[in-house]
Amino acid sequence: MRNTIFFGVSIVAALLVFALARALNNDYLFFAGYTVVQFVVLATAWNILGGYCGYVNFGTAAFFALGAYSTVFFHKTYPLPIPVLLVIAATVSGLVGLGTGYLTLRLRGAFFSIATLAMAVVLQTFVVNWNYVGGSRGAYVIRPSDLEVFGVKLPYIQYLFLIMLVLAAVSIAIARAIERSKLGYGFATIRDDELAAEASGVPTLKLKLIATTLSGALMGMAGAPLPYYIGYLEPASAFGLPYAVNSIAMPMIGGTTIWFGPLIGSLLLGTLTQIATVTISSAVNLLLVGLLLVGFVIVAPSGLVGLLQQFLRAAAPTRVDARAVGLIMFASYGFIAGLLEVVFSLAIITTSPDSIGMAVAVVGLVLAALLLVSAYGLMTLQSRSPLLATFAFALSIAIGAVHIWLDPNSSVTYRGLGIAIAVAACGWFQLRNVRQLYQPRLTDRQAVA
Amino acid sequence: MLACVTSADLMTNALIAGLLLGGFYAAVTVGISVSFGILDIVNIAHPAFIIVGSYIAYIVNAQLGVDPVLVGIVALPAFYALGALTYQVYYVSFEKRGQEALRGLAFFFGILFIAEVVLILVFGVDYRYVSAAYIDRSYSLGFVQLPMRMVVPCVISLAMLGALQLFLGNTFLGRAIMAVAQDQGALRLMAADPIKIKRIAFALSIATCALAGACLIIIQPVEPSIGRDYIGRVFAICVLGGLGSLPGTLIGAMLLGIVESFTSTCAGPSWAPAVAFGLLLLTLAVRPAGLLGR
Repeated sequence: MRNTIFFGVSIVAALLVFALARALNNDYLFFAGYTVVQFVVLATAWNILGGYCGYVNFGTAAFFALGAYSTVFFHKTYPLPIPVLLVIAATVSGLVGLGTGYLTLRLRGAFFSIATLAMAVVLQTFVVNWNYVGGSRGAYVIRPSDLEVFGVKLPYIQYLFLIMLVLAAVSIAIARAIERSKLGYGFATIRDDELAAEASGVPTLKLKLIATTLSGALMGMAGAPLPYYIGYLEPASAFGLPYAVNSIAMPMIGGTTIWFGPLIGSLLLGTLTQIATVTISSAVNLLLVGLLLVGFVIVAPSGLVGLLQQFLRAAAPTRVDARAVGLIMFASYGFIAGLLEVVFSLAIITTSPDSIGMAVAVVGLVLAALLLVSAYGLMTLQSRSPLLATFAFALSIAIGAVHIWLDPNSSVTYRGLGIAIAVAACGWFQLRNVRQLYQPRLTDRQAVA
Repeated sequence: MLACVTSADLMTNALIAGLLLGGFYAAVTVGISVSFGILDIVNIAHPAFIIVGSYIAYIVNAQLGVDPVLVGIVALPAFYALGALTYQVYYVSFEKRGQEALRGLAFFFGILFIAEVVLILVFGVDYRYVSAAYIDRSYSLGFVQLPMRMVVPCVISLAMLGALQLFLGNTFLGRAIMAVAQDQGALRLMAADPIKIKRIAFALSIATCALAGACLIIIQPVEPSIGRDYIGRVFAICVLGGLGSLPGTLIGAMLLGIVESFTSTCAGPSWAPAVAFGLLLLTLAVRPAGLLGR
C-alpha cells in the first residue's frame, strides 16, 4: 500500500518536473535534463546491485549500450514505439545480466566486477563487427519531429524527456520498494557478511541473480531511447567509460544504502557535469567526476547522505532543531558553491589564460578548497569548522565583489545572491548558540569513542 | 577460414607470433599476478600504470632519443615509489576500515579513469610511438618471420618474470611476501609487519609497469584509452594460469597469445579483443582455480 502511494507520488513529481520544463519552454533544458535524468536511472539501477548487495558492476556502459543497440536493430528492421522498445531492451539487458551473474557470482566478488569490465569490451567487439547495426561506422537514426500524446502535440525531444522522467520515477519506486522488503534485507545480509547469510539459510545466489537481472534491465531501459536522442550512435561512445564511471560515482557521492543517495548524487553530479561541459570541455568534466569519485570514497565513504545522518545523530539526536537545519543548508550551499567555483576557475584557465584571468582562477581554486573543506568540517562536527566556514564565506564575499567590479555586465544576479547568502552564513556561524551546538556534542562523541 | 587452417606456413607464423605475443603478455600480467594473485588487491588500474609507463618511454625517447627499454629500467624506482604511495593510500582508506570490496574497487577504477583523462588532456588521443634501431628490423628463418619489435619485449618479459620468480622463491623478503598471502596473523606473530611487506610487494607489482609499458610502446603505437583492452587480458591470464603462480602466468599468457594470434589470422584482428573474455568466462565456469592454481 505504502509502495503504491510512493509510486504515485514519484510519478506526480515526474509530471510536475515535466510541466515546469514545459512552462520554462527552453529547448536546451530538455536536452540537458534528459541526460541528467538518464543518469538518475543509471545510478539507481547500479545501486540496486552495488549499494544494496555490495557487488561492483563496471559494465554499466555494456548494459546501457545493449539497450541502445536493440533500439537501433528494431529501427532498421521494424520501427516500434519507444515504450515497446523499453520492454525489449529490458529483456535483452536483463538476460545478459542474468547470464554473466550466473557464470561469475558463484565465485568471489571481484570476479564478477572483472567479468563485467571485460564484458563491455567483448560486446563492443561484437557490435563493431556487426554491420547490420552500423558496425564501427555507427548508425544514423532519424528522429520523428512531432508526436501526439493523449491529444497533446509534443516535440519529440520533450516526449523523450517525459519517458525518461517516468522511467526514473519507476526505478526509484522499485529501489525504495526493495529496500523495505524481504528482498532488501536479504541483499543487506549479502553486503554485510555473505558467508554468515549463506549459513543462516539466505539463498544468496538466487538473490544476487535477481539483483543483477533487475539492475541490468533498468540500465538497458535507460539506453533504449538514446539512439533517438542523439540521432547517431557509434560503438565507441555507446560503450564509453564515462557511463560506467558516472553511474558508480553518483551513488558513491550521494550515498549507497538508501534510495535517495543515488538520486542526490546523480542530480548534483549530472547538473555539475552539464555546466562543466558547457563552460569548459567534456574531458575536464570527466576528470572532475573521477577526482570527486576518488575523493569521496577516501574522505566520506558513506557519501553525502551518510554525512548528513552522522551529523543529525551527533548534533540533533532527539529532534531536528532550527540551528541544525540552518547549518546543513549553509554547508550544502558551501559544498555546491565550492564545486561550481572549481568549474568556473578551470573554465577561466582553459579559455582565457592571461595574467589577470590566471590570478582570478587561482584565487577561485583556493576559495573552492576552503569552501569544500569547511563544508566537510561543518558536517562532521569538527570544532574549528564554524571559524573556518566564516573565513571561507567572508572570502567569497570579497571575491564576489571583485568579480562584479571586474565584469559588471555578467552574472551580477548570481554573484549578488552569492554575496547575500555568504553574509547570512557568516552571521549564522558566529551566532553563539550555533557554536554551542558543537561543544557539548563533541564531548559526548569523545566519551562514546 | 579453411584456407588458414590448411596452410602450414601461415599456421607456423601464427604460432610463433602467438608465442612472442604471449611472452609480452606475461610482462603485462606479472604485476597483477603479484597484486591480485598473491596480495588479493584487485588493482584494476594496473593497465593504466602500464600506459603511463609507455608515455614516459615515449617522452624521453622523443626528447632525448634514449632507448625505450633503458628508460623503462631507469623508471623502475620511480614506479616503485608510486606503487608504495598508492598502497599506503589504499591501506589507510580502505583495508584498515575493512571496505576494500566496494570502495577499494571504486578507488582503483577512479584512478584508472583519472590517468586516462589526464593523458588525453595532455597528449590528446593521437597514437604515439617510439623509435629505436631494432624496431623495424626483422629476421627470417626460412618462411618464419621474427620481427625484432616482438622478440625484444618477449626476451625482456621472460627475464623480468624469471628474476621475480627467483626473488619470491629464494630470498627472505620474497618468502615473506608469499607468507603474507597465506596468513597475515601468523606473520604478525613472527614479529614481521604484514603491512610493510604488502607495501613492498605492491610497489614491486607497480614497478613492473615501467618495463611493461616500454615493451608495449615498442610493440604497438599507444593512445590513452588502449589500457582498457588490457584489463580483460591481464585478468584472464591471471585466472587462467592460477592465482599467485608466476609459472602459471607464463603458461596462461602464452596460451592467450597463441589463441589471439590464430583468431587474428583466421577471423580478422577486430575479433581479437573478444578472445580474452571468452577464455576468462570459460576458465571461471570450468576450472576457477586455474591451471596451476593453489
